[in-house]
Amino acid sequence: MTRLRYAVLAALLCSAAALGFAAAASAAATASPATAQSALNAPSNDDCFRCHGQQSVQNRTIVVDGRQKSIFVDRAVYDASRHGKLACTSCHLGFKPGPHGADQTQAWLATAKLTACSNCHADVFAMYRGSFHGNLVFGESSGKAPVCADCHVAHNITPPESPAFRASIDSLCARCHAEQLKTYLDSYHGKAFYLGDAKTAVCTDCHGGHKILPPSDPQSKVSQQNLVATCAQCHPGANENFAGFMVHVDPQSPRSSFAVWTFYALYIMLIAVVFTFGFVHTALYIYRGIKDGLYRRSRHG
Amino acid sequence: MASTGEAVTAESAPQKVRTRIEYRRFNVFHRWMHFLVFTSFTVLVFTGMPLKYKDTEWARWSMDLFGGVTAAGVYHRIAALVTVFYWTLEFVFMVVMVLRSRGKVLRSPGSMMPSKKDLQDMIGMFAWFFGKGPKPQFDRYTYWEKFDYMSLMAGTVIIGMTGFMMWFPLWFTKVLPGIFLNIALVIHSNEALLAMGVIFIFVHFFSAHARPESFPLDKVIFTGSLPVEHYKAERPLEFARRVREGTLDEVLVEKRITWRTYAADVLWWIITAFAGFCAILMTAFIIWSVFT
Repeated sequence: MTRLRYAVLAALLCSAAALGFAAAASAAATASPATAQSALNAPSNDDCFRCHGQQSVQNRTIVVDGRQKSIFVDRAVYDASRHGKLACTSCHLGFKPGPHGADQTQAWLATAKLTACSNCHADVFAMYRGSFHGNLVFGESSGKAPVCADCHVAHNITPPESPAFRASIDSLCARCHAEQLKTYLDSYHGKAFYLGDAKTAVCTDCHGGHKILPPSDPQSKVSQQNLVATCAQCHPGANENFAGFMVHVDPQSPRSSFAVWTFYALYIMLIAVVFTFGFVHTALYIYRGIKDGLYRRSRHG
Repeated sequence: MASTGEAVTAESAPQKVRTRIEYRRFNVFHRWMHFLVFTSFTVLVFTGMPLKYKDTEWARWSMDLFGGVTAAGVYHRIAALVTVFYWTLEFVFMVVMVLRSRGKVLRSPGSMMPSKKDLQDMIGMFAWFFGKGPKPQFDRYTYWEKFDYMSLMAGTVIIGMTGFMMWFPLWFTKVLPGIFLNIALVIHSNEALLAMGVIFIFVHFFSAHARPESFPLDKVIFTGSLPVEHYKAERPLEFARRVREGTLDEVLVEKRITWRTYAADVLWWIITAFAGFCAILMTAFIIWSVFT
């Protein structure tokens, strides 16, 4: 009997001890060293906006990609953006209150600007990294190509699924692809888009957003292999013929598509002939009518 | 508005109802057909042209007026179905006419078929324009009226086919290659401009409003008939032919002139003024677009 009592007591004590240990361990885990450290050292957004939120710094600029850019950030715009709740330093890694040296700023622009987004958006970043644009930025023959913030904007970042962002996609792409924008806007989709149709296809619906690849790449959404499936996103039942429709064609240029241009040219000639003849016939008729005073006669009922 | 000047006027004293013998140029079928043509055509032009000239301010105004590009597309398609309806009706009517007369209507001088006389008339008109000859005498239809009619009938086939290709691209590309959709847009858009120019400026509206013989309005397509003397002057050959063949009585009607006649006249004026306004507006829009 007494043995049993001791055993129960011992079991209870052990459980209590285990519980206590677990609680202590979890408390210790919550107060992780990293959090404790960032709470101590990292500046709050208030610290950043103390300078960067002042209207007076609007004329203070730094050089970004060879262009002068204001260091002013509108706090109201930033707070209302999708990232509004994030700390400035979650993207501007390593920045501390006080004047930032040009070397630090330029170093950040050169590297962190590209990778800061990947800390949270690793999956999207991986797609971008493998895209045509990503290859231009990170590849051997590095050329000018958009990075995340070029399309998504740095501080007033809008949800990509918002109508406002969708309506801006054409102008974002056109900063480099102006010729393609022109032919797109003259196509079925483009005309409807331009006049406010929110549902019609825009650049990214066919070319993709992050993993944009040239048509020659089999993985591309607009490659020979995938084009039918891409059309079928909106046009279920699309076949090879349907996908053969040329979105980027300029009817006014014989080099763009000779067949399309031929019909365009024939119609322009037909219109010119009919309108010229019509104009001459009409003008002469009116001239004769006035000359012979036919307009002054009494009219019929 | 209705001048009784030269018209044959008959008054029956007891009821004091004025009547007038008129020449019936268009029957009810013609008049309703024209109603369908001009209503659908106007809607098609105003919902379609903004797409062709999308960069202009007026394209946005038009789209706002119709409640957006999607709504305008719906109206465009409804008007397209009306067009299919009237075209089919007219075509069936035409075929029945030809078959019932065993092709005689096609050989009649009063038919819509182009003939050698049309070419002679055109040369004659140019001679008259330059004061080098008398004005040619016409039968039931002048060469520009035949052109107007034929271009509408043929143009409707072209613009209708290309329109349906764009409306049902999946169905058409079961057979046709995709480039046909590119070509369809080019044809549809330019055929529309051609049709608009013919109807709104050079042929139809000029013929109905600005010709010395019809200025400022030829409302016979609405009323159906016009004073005999006037028609005799306008189309002397048809008149003479009917007198010769003894078929004049078929087209003479006794028209009662009541307050309704004047009320209808006001309505024709309103409709025509509106149509004229639309035509001038769209012409101005397009000139604006081409020269900016």
